[in-house]
Amino acid sequence: MKTIIKLSGITKKFGTKTAVKDLDLEIYEGEIFGLLGVNGAGKTTTIRMLTGLSAVTSGEAEVMGFSVKTDLQEIKKITNISTQETAVAGNLTVRENLEFIAKIYGLSKEQTEKNIADIFKTLELGEVEKQKAKTLSGGWQRRLSIAMGLITEPKMIFLDEPTLGLDVIARRELWKIITALKGRVTVILTTHYLDEVEALCDRIAIMAKGQVKALGTAPELKKLAGKEKLEDAFVEIVGGAVE
Amino acid sequence: MRALTFSSRNIKELLRDPLSYIFCLGMPILMLIVMTIVNQSIPESPALPAGVPIPEDTVMTPTVFQIQKLTPAMAVFGMTFVMLFACMRVSSDRSGAFLTRLYASPMKGSDYIMGYILPFGLVALVQSVITYVAGDIIALATGKEAFNVLNMIISLPLLLPSIFMFIGFGILFGVLFGEKAAPGVCSAVITVASLLGGMWMDLDQMGGVLLGICDKLPFYHSIKAARLALTGDFSEMWISLLICTAYAAVIFGISVFAFAKKMQSDKK
Repeated sequence: MKTIIKLSGITKKFGTKTAVKDLDLEIYEGEIFGLLGVNGAGKTTTIRMLTGLSAVTSGEAEVMGFSVKTDLQEIKKITNISTQETAVAGNLTVRENLEFIAKIYGLSKEQTEKNIADIFKTLELGEVEKQKAKTLSGGWQRRLSIAMGLITEPKMIFLDEPTLGLDVIARRELWKIITALKGRVTVILTTHYLDEVEALCDRIAIMAKGQVKALGTAPELKKLAGKEKLEDAFVEIVGGAVE
Repeated sequence: MRALTFSSRNIKELLRDPLSYIFCLGMPILMLIVMTIVNQSIPESPALPAGVPIPEDTVMTPTVFQIQKLTPAMAVFGMTFVMLFACMRVSSDRSGAFLTRLYASPMKGSDYIMGYILPFGLVALVQSVITYVAGDIIALATGKEAFNVLNMIISLPLLLPSIFMFIGFGILFGVLFGEKAAPGVCSAVITVASLLGGMWMDLDQMGGVLLGICDKLPFYHSIKAARLALTGDFSEMWISLLICTAYAAVIFGISVFAFAKKMQSDKK
């Protein structure tokens, strides 16, 4: 499998506090990769470093061969993000939000139209096309936020807790959308929900105290911890680290 | 190109907010009408021949409410509301995740700054044109002398330093203060600008310490330059315009620096 992201001993410090410590990780092209951990484990900080939202304190991180230290502008062109909070322009319609992001990433008018048509089909956003983003429900706003991440046809997308605060139905609908990306786009997903990673992710990294404590598929992690449920395996793996 | 795209988003956000019409357009025109009514209710000063000293007990009619002086002041008054909306836009973008998304995009620092300046600058200029036209209509409707069209055309670009200064203030406060505090700070500046700028009182006639203080601040010069430009007193206007331009350059420079610093610190 082709490595698309390679982290070599990256560390992030905020003053005296170390948020991510000496992290080594490889993520493969086309996989859905889950970063799982309790609050403050370093999941979001890792994503922020990979997207240029936070500077790396030490170590090296490469995205498709581009260094986050020296080639950030190149990385930004081929990646996109959907943040924890819904990031949409409230007074713009659904279509205008998508067109806005497409223009920012330099897509042509024809490409934008084609991508919008595709996204309306896959994410079923067509029915709210002319609706202002601020009038959408939380689930639809989150869906739009992910659509804004996908409209640029990124090689990889970072989804930071994409289903946070959504009801069960909205969560399941988003799962379908994320699953449909498998193989086409590399997805790096952070979440607190164990059922979510188990249902969606090809591989999972369990983080605690800024380090990866375990890495593998859901069955591999359960086997590693000697537990039948992923939740029990997670508690077993992280348990010592959070005490 | 990205700056224009961001500008387009910002202008749509502004124009789709009904409050922006009420404050940026409604308030200056409303005050033009109200103050014209006030002015008409004040008895006129006795006309004395040139060289005749004014008797001590003579009540002088304030000139600041005369339409030729009121209109430029109201145009500047409108700019203070553009400042408020620029401030709210920046602070709102910063407090939500929208700017975080854009920070992860290929947009550069200059795209953000231009993206905020262009739409608010355009709105302030259009608002000034509308205020001047409204003032001219009021002048004609109340039997006063119509504005000199050439002076009106020349005076509009001369408002640009004031426009940049108030947008600079807006961006600066939007960067320095959160979504809740920023409008309050802007309201304080609107009050200070209108009082110490001489919108509602003739500072030159009052003189003294107050004029001394106002003379050191940009608001007085912003309004004075606009008034002199509309009446065609260009030789008198340049000093005030230069002072206003210098303030605009400094405040704008500080706001760009503050935005760039904030952008960097957000990324740490």
